[in-house]
Amino acid sequence: MNMKKIGAAASTGLLVFSLAACSGGDSSSDSGKTQIKFINGFTGGDGAFMTKIVDGFNSSQDEFEVVQSQEKDHYTKFKSGNYDLVVIHETSLETYQKDQLIQDAGPYMETAGLAEDDFNAAGIQSGTVEDKLFGVPLDIHPLTMFYNEELVSEAPTDYEQLKALGETLQSENENLYAFGLPSTGLTTFYFTAAAAQNGIDLAKDGYLDFTQSDYADALMQYHDMVFKDNTSPEKLGLDGEFQAFMKSADEGAKQTAVTMTGPWYYQAVKEKYADNLGIGAMPTLFETAATTGNAHTISVAASVEDEEVKDGISEFLKYLYTPENLANWAESGQTPSHLATLDLITEDPEKYELAAKNQEQLDTYVAAPRVYQFDEQMRYMNEVVFTKLTSEPNLTKDALMSELEKATKAAKQIADTQ
Amino acid sequence: MHMTNKSKWLGFIFVVPFLVSFLVFWLIPLLYGIWISLHDFRLSVGNNGFIGLKNYVDILTPDTIYNRTFMTSLKNTLMFIVLSVPPLILISLGLALLIEHLPKKLKTFFRTVFFLSYSISVTAVSAIYLWLFGANGGYINNILMKAGLISSPINWTGDQPYAWLVIVIATIWWTIGFNMLLFVNALDEVDGTLYEAADLDGASAWNKFRFITLPEIRNISIFVMITTVIASFNLYGQSLLITRGGPEQSTSSLIMGINTTVFGNNQLGVGSAMALLMGVIMMLITGIQYWISYKSDKDELAKPSRKERKRLKRAVNAGPTNVNQHPAATIDKKERKIT
Repeated sequence: MNMKKIGAAASTGLLVFSLAACSGGDSSSDSGKTQIKFINGFTGGDGAFMTKIVDGFNSSQDEFEVVQSQEKDHYTKFKSGNYDLVVIHETSLETYQKDQLIQDAGPYMETAGLAEDDFNAAGIQSGTVEDKLFGVPLDIHPLTMFYNEELVSEAPTDYEQLKALGETLQSENENLYAFGLPSTGLTTFYFTAAAAQNGIDLAKDGYLDFTQSDYADALMQYHDMVFKDNTSPEKLGLDGEFQAFMKSADEGAKQTAVTMTGPWYYQAVKEKYADNLGIGAMPTLFETAATTGNAHTISVAASVEDEEVKDGISEFLKYLYTPENLANWAESGQTPSHLATLDLITEDPEKYELAAKNQEQLDTYVAAPRVYQFDEQMRYMNEVVFTKLTSEPNLTKDALMSELEKATKAAKQIADTQ
Repeated sequence: MHMTNKSKWLGFIFVVPFLVSFLVFWLIPLLYGIWISLHDFRLSVGNNGFIGLKNYVDILTPDTIYNRTFMTSLKNTLMFIVLSVPPLILISLGLALLIEHLPKKLKTFFRTVFFLSYSISVTAVSAIYLWLFGANGGYINNILMKAGLISSPINWTGDQPYAWLVIVIATIWWTIGFNMLLFVNALDEVDGTLYEAADLDGASAWNKFRFITLPEIRNISIFVMITTVIASFNLYGQSLLITRGGPEQSTSSLIMGINTTVFGNNQLGVGSAMALLMGVIMMLITGIQYWISYKSDKDELAKPSRKERKRLKRAVNAGPTNVNQHPAATIDKKERKIT
């Protein structure tokens, strides 16, 4: 072989080697166990509880191993990576199904010995797309009320009570408020609450139509809560509903007696308020009682074809949906959709304080509209409209309607990309 | 010199790592990006076919979501460049000059201290600045209120222009060490005899800086300016973590817009087209910077300023006294009379 051929072979080999290093590996670990790559976005206080479940499964197994990744932007990683199992929110499930990123979870549930009857109605609804379960229901996480028992003895149940509480607190200290509305962050829950508690359906022909006069009126009520009733401080910023609850008025900060926020803050608020922490159901801010929020489901990536990986997924689901194991998830503050686990929680409401409370309000749970790219359709509302509602004292309904038209136009264009 | 086949191939093998890296990490991704931008490419389902320049047309057509995303984020990014580049250059140069005048032992210490922040992750930097500039009970607001400088808290991250101010301050604190180090090295390279000669001529500190330091570090200054503009174009972490692109999307950067288009809207084709347009804009701006620097350099060589012409004239009249320069240019009439 002459030098030319040796050189060409060497350079080609190097190129092939470097490209091969970029390709995905197989599903076997060094220990010979079949690996199931599981990604979720549990980077808050709840993450440790899911890790406990995963570790429990791994130590119980000779055949399979769940390799868990907890990432803040887990959707991005899932789309661009090579994962077998993924936690998907109820609001994103239809998008992932339409984009062919996930597959029917029914067969996996069947192998794991799980049936639809094992879950509550809200859970089944959260995981169903086109009459098939594309996500195994994990939990419902409604907008949760925490309150400081030093400032309010009982959980307010409607806006009138919150308003009265605000007036009392303001007379004591001008930095004390009833509750806080965030500028951005968890605002989707507040937008869907305004729709659900006023009986407004935002979905129209596959997109979100915000340009409904009743809806604009409802949103203007949020504006009034800040600028007319002084029930909430203005301009609280990102995650302001939670941040203001954790502040102290004595130190010059704006402090709220009540917060309506995500249950994932349970560990943080419990640490701060300990025995003075009260938990209540979402109050009726508008016309009728309705609880909004989101749900977690567990989906199988469309790319999963390996029979051993499939068996491993079913085995993991079987382990996860054993009440004693899933109760760990309830301990984190999330409310499982699995009925047998809910029974266990009911038996010990002190240990599973938040889950026990939250399951009481699931009867009035109203799921967010099912549209393609729900979060993207909500983007303008979350990033612009709620900020305006809580920071512009002179905002009029006409000006708001103009913003709602922009948001609807964007939502319609996003829906059309399907 | 005649090269044998063996030495040719040996040379080629040494070049292979570069060629492979160039192909794998630069040329192939670039060509692939261009190819993707000409297709209806979704992150989820892949390629839906060739669509020519439609993605570019959609981005450049007013009233589409992609146009709004691109134009808003481009405007914001340009705003950030205007606000951040001057302080990033001037402050780093100022720090480098200060360090240059410190005793040797302290010089190493402070060079390390100022560079240290550059090694911190953007997540940690953002967490620090969020805590400092929190609107409700934040450290800066507390200090300003206790000092009686403000009567009500400033919404640093939720109102403009404060949101930009926080992002610019965080960026300066985070990245200033890199530019500073380049300037420190450039200042080290300046020939000390030039300063000695200037001292003998009685030049003031400003004149030494203006006529010796600046011209001597000119090339590195142009490099710093160009790389700082490019780095500012890539604004992402600070605005994502400190302001989340707010208030009302006013700090949402181009990279954030592309990220939303690709990973939020699933539109890899449109996102690639946006990235390429961003690249073209960056190249244009860099090209203009090069052109202006080259032009001013050429002009300077070709046409001395009026002041410099006067100095040269005086120098010629006085006659040469030093092999390195025309010191007469810096010797005033009084001194010449004494001589």
